[in-house]
Amino acid sequence: MPKDDRYLDPTDSVAVPRKTAHRPPSLDGKVITLLDISKPKGNHLLDRIEELLKERAKPKAILRRKKPTFARPAPDELRQQILSESDVVVEALAD
Amino acid sequence: MPRTTKRSSGPDSQADAIEDLYARGVTDGLPVIPPTLPRVERAIQASGRPADELIALVPPNYGRATVEKIAVNAVMAGCRPEYLPVVIAGVEAMCDEAFDLHGVAATTNFSSPLFIINGPIRKRLDVNCGVGVFGPGWRANATIGRALRLIAVNLGGARPGVISMSTMGHPGRYTYCIGESEEENPWEPLHVEHGFAPGDSTVAAFAGDSPQGIYDHKSRTAKDLLTTIGRSLGVVWHHKATALGDTLVVLSPEHVRTIAGDGWSKKDIQRFLWELLRKPVKELLPGKDGGEGLPESVLAGIPNPETDGTLIAKFRAPEHLKILVAGGTAGRFSAVIPGWTFPNGSNLVIKKIQTPE
Repeated sequence: MPKDDRYLDPTDSVAVPRKTAHRPPSLDGKVITLLDISKPKGNHLLDRIEELLKERAKPKAILRRKKPTFARPAPDELRQQILSESDVVVEALAD
Repeated sequence: MPRTTKRSSGPDSQADAIEDLYARGVTDGLPVIPPTLPRVERAIQASGRPADELIALVPPNYGRATVEKIAVNAVMAGCRPEYLPVVIAGVEAMCDEAFDLHGVAATTNFSSPLFIINGPIRKRLDVNCGVGVFGPGWRANATIGRALRLIAVNLGGARPGVISMSTMGHPGRYTYCIGESEEENPWEPLHVEHGFAPGDSTVAAFAGDSPQGIYDHKSRTAKDLLTTIGRSLGVVWHHKATALGDTLVVLSPEHVRTIAGDGWSKKDIQRFLWELLRKPVKELLPGKDGGEGLPESVLAGIPNPETDGTLIAKFRAPEHLKILVAGGTAGRFSAVIPGWTFPNGSNLVIKKIQTPE
């Protein structure tokens, strides 16, 4: 018997492990969403990232979206919107 | 080397289990009780519920907190089987949407769920409400709080440095569970104030920093004492923080007697502290007495902040100051516990404990 079977598992072993999303090889021609989570100065970081993206890549479009509050997960409607309109998302944490 | 500790003649498999469980990353760093099948079954039995009953999904990973999974974690924490109904109600409270465990579990702030037990079950389970209430020595407090922390980690995914990104953490993240001293409380206890019957037993979840002590040996009137408490409360988060929500004020029995002796109600206390902790805009400016201050969004609406005397309150409303009675009967000390109180952040949530008939 494997060692671990001697005790009951305190975790939810059936939960699906989280995986990082697929990274495209290039940002050219992609729709990029810059997500502001509503932390102070997150927009400063995203403004600079937007500048750099325009300078160094050729995205099809750059969209700016914002969570209503950083304290809670993004509302489902916003998540669905981002999912339907973007190829890549960059989320800014700040303070 | 001569041995001074007598050696047990029993098997050493328990010690191996402790090492195994630590290596699997399912502990809080302290040794846990190995959750063997007989131990877990005794705990499930004591809950009076089926093993596969789903109590909640635990944010942020939304692991399924079934009665069995709760029991496994409770056994590991050292709970007696009869504590299970309290742990189950604690899971319901911290997984309620209003508590926002998602944010509390992941934040860079200090916060940790604090569990407050009210009602007759306190006596039955010997929950400490008195001397050293936030400290060690009582199995119910020590292990119920610990079980809920293990559940947040093992089912919610709140592993430090992985999902839980608290810069400092605090010692209450090992265990954080107290009872209210209803016997020393001349007002309605917390659960009755929130609509439960005095005979109900409840668990409240509150997202709190560590307790911050307030010493006042000299005040002999409600107004004097609450001024000391208020001025000390005025610096939580930082001295210019405003718009805070749920925050705990834990009054000791000696302080309670001074306040209640002057005929003050809980509402009087809340109103007095709320009014005391308002400051004019001109004293809340960033860069004046420290870089912190009113957020840009608020300042944008004020034409002449340098001279503006409009009063801004530290707390969004008086009722966000939650008054609790606890601690030893000797000593003129109280405590405040800052909350995780962003607008739309965590609120105090109370759930009834369902005990088997």
